[in-house]
Amino acid sequence: MFQDLDIKEIEEKIHLMKKNVEELNEMVNGFPALEKNTSRILASINMLEINLSDLLDL
Amino acid sequence: MSKEPIFWNPLLETLPQEKIRKLQLKKFKRIFGWVYDHSKFHRSLYERAGMTPADIRSFEDIRYVPKVEKAMMREIQQRDPFPYGDTLCVPLEEVVEFHQTSGSTGHPVYQADTWQDWEWFSESWAFILWAQGYRPMDRVFIPFGYNVFVAFWSGHYAAEKIGCEVIPGGVLDTKARILKIQELKPTAMMGTPTYILSMAATAKNKMGIDPSTLTINKITCAGEPGASIPSTKKRMEEMWGAKVYDHAGATEIGAWSYECQLQPEGMHVNEALFLVEIEDIETGEIIEDPGRQGKMIITAFDRQAMPCIRFDSKDIIEWDPEPCQCGRTFRLIKGGVIGRVDDITKVKGVLLAPSAIEEVVREIEGLGEEYEVVVDKEGDVDRITLKVELLPGKEDLQASIKNLITDQLRLKTNLRYNLEFHDYGTLPRYEVKARRFKDLRKTH
Repeated sequence: MFQDLDIKEIEEKIHLMKKNVEELNEMVNGFPALEKNTSRILASINMLEINLSDLLDL
Repeated sequence: MSKEPIFWNPLLETLPQEKIRKLQLKKFKRIFGWVYDHSKFHRSLYERAGMTPADIRSFEDIRYVPKVEKAMMREIQQRDPFPYGDTLCVPLEEVVEFHQTSGSTGHPVYQADTWQDWEWFSESWAFILWAQGYRPMDRVFIPFGYNVFVAFWSGHYAAEKIGCEVIPGGVLDTKARILKIQELKPTAMMGTPTYILSMAATAKNKMGIDPSTLTINKITCAGEPGASIPSTKKRMEEMWGAKVYDHAGATEIGAWSYECQLQPEGMHVNEALFLVEIEDIETGEIIEDPGRQGKMIITAFDRQAMPCIRFDSKDIIEWDPEPCQCGRTFRLIKGGVIGRVDDITKVKGVLLAPSAIEEVVREIEGLGEEYEVVVDKEGDVDRITLKVELLPGKEDLQASIKNLITDQLRLKTNLRYNLEFHDYGTLPRYEVKARRFKDLRKTH
């Protein structure tokens, strides 16, 4: 059930994932297959932020 | 076994209204800061009004932010850099999607989206489809000529995101699409009300197939207000034997509103992704209370490349006083989008909304699905003509239908019409947005 979810913990994991993918994205400059796919992952992570992270600290 | 989730986002869709306002203020500040820093067009607009992001301190401050009209976008896009003018907030190399408005009110406006915007657009549609009962086991048929218009591209991607199986019914004619439905047995479909009705008529009258015997059990409509007009919705539901749901969206806005499975005679505004304000057409005052119509001013909070900030949509809406029983706290707009400021016109001194005529025509049995309204002048006096078609085999009902339609139109619109009966199939047919209302007075 979603009521049992630990929102803070989920948000931390989203934040960590974003940080990792951002770092990876910067590391792979000049390697289109990795650069473009990490950019797409970041767009998907933004959907996680819209769906959850924005709710924190209201 | 866990119960199937009712909501696409159980946190956002059940958020108390006071928290929704806080979320909206937080997100408005963010997008306002983004455009101020990245769009020359917006920055210049706000500087002329003496506004900076620091001026947005409370929810009430938002209403002082200058509105953007479609005409302004058109004008700015006539200038360099091609093709978006100074509206773009990201480098051109980050743009991955081009779409344009239909051009039904003037030159089309071009819309650029990044991949993140495109993810967001399909996300806004995922709220809609989930609320209308789309689930991974659904097979979704999209009878849409995939092209520069955004409608249903994002529906397609959202259905995939949910996990549905999507059948793109693109470059097929109507008969081929009906045969594809018969062959592949999809459970859901998306289309404009005009085309959904036209498909059903083709199946029934030209192919001898009763569409209600096919496998479609839900239809999502877009592009026209028909699915929120009770008689049009009923006609579609009876023809297809399916539930018909409305949604509202626009190229330059996003998919901002949707009917849920309870069909509450209204649509939920997705208040987590959009800020909808209703403005009194005469005074410009923001209407907070239910029951008063005005035009919609809308902000999309999360669109990056060409943001939509306090866009004057010209859609006429009103808040519903009642919450929906589905459990969503997102407010309802009563009766969906009631019309457009541009469409409401005075005929013989009486204000007329074309949707009122559609409501009458579509509830009369024996009439075909198409009609046309022509307003012109006879000397100095306005004249309004309604052209309708009788269904095949219903010709003997002409006299009784004439009396019924005349009475109903006088009751609902306060006007007297010249009524013309045409042979079935002779009035124009439309595949996307219909143009059934023709005001010839403006060309005289």
